[in-house]
Amino acid sequence: MANTITWETEMKKALAQSRAQDKQVLLDFFNPG
Amino acid sequence: MDTVTYPHEKVAAFFKKNLIPLRIQFDTKPYCNEFNVTWTPTLIVLDADGKEHHRTVGFLSAEELIPALLLGMAKTRFEQQKYTEALSVITELLDNYAKSDAAPEALFLKGVAQYKNTHNPKPLKEAYEQLLAQYPASEWTKRAYPYRLL
Repeated sequence: MANTITWETEMKKALAQSRAQDKQVLLDFFNPG
Repeated sequence: MDTVTYPHEKVAAFFKKNLIPLRIQFDTKPYCNEFNVTWTPTLIVLDADGKEHHRTVGFLSAEELIPALLLGMAKTRFEQQKYTEALSVITELLDNYAKSDAAPEALFLKGVAQYKNTHNPKPLKEAYEQLLAQYPASEWTKRAYPYRLL
């Protein structure tokens, strides 16, 4: 689906991707309800 | 956010192009304590070392989320002393989201980043004058008030 955000769920993996892709991390603390 | 903002086509495209999206439940330790999370949604922009550079709390529409994240990206580059990169992001924000809530702070940051990059105080005064003209009621216009004397 084109309008779907692919969320990372592990901090270490997200930071590794951040460094590798020179992108910042958007950390969303969410309440699943 | 899940029902209104995140499904928006522009938001998904923006995330894919610009950010690594990371989602953690609000009560997950140790992160909820490390980041002092007290309400949701709490959105935080981090650099690759996990250092926080910007946060927003509460719902944002797609029209406000994207400029808020651009501001966070600009603040990251600014705080890393990458002023040219910060200014590039600020330009994108101001060119495309001038009416957003993030725009006045971005304009303030533009003046400061230009000053830090050149040590010429003129951009600070210009930032104040533009803030006064475009966002007279903004807190960032008040914060830039001393720059009128430069």
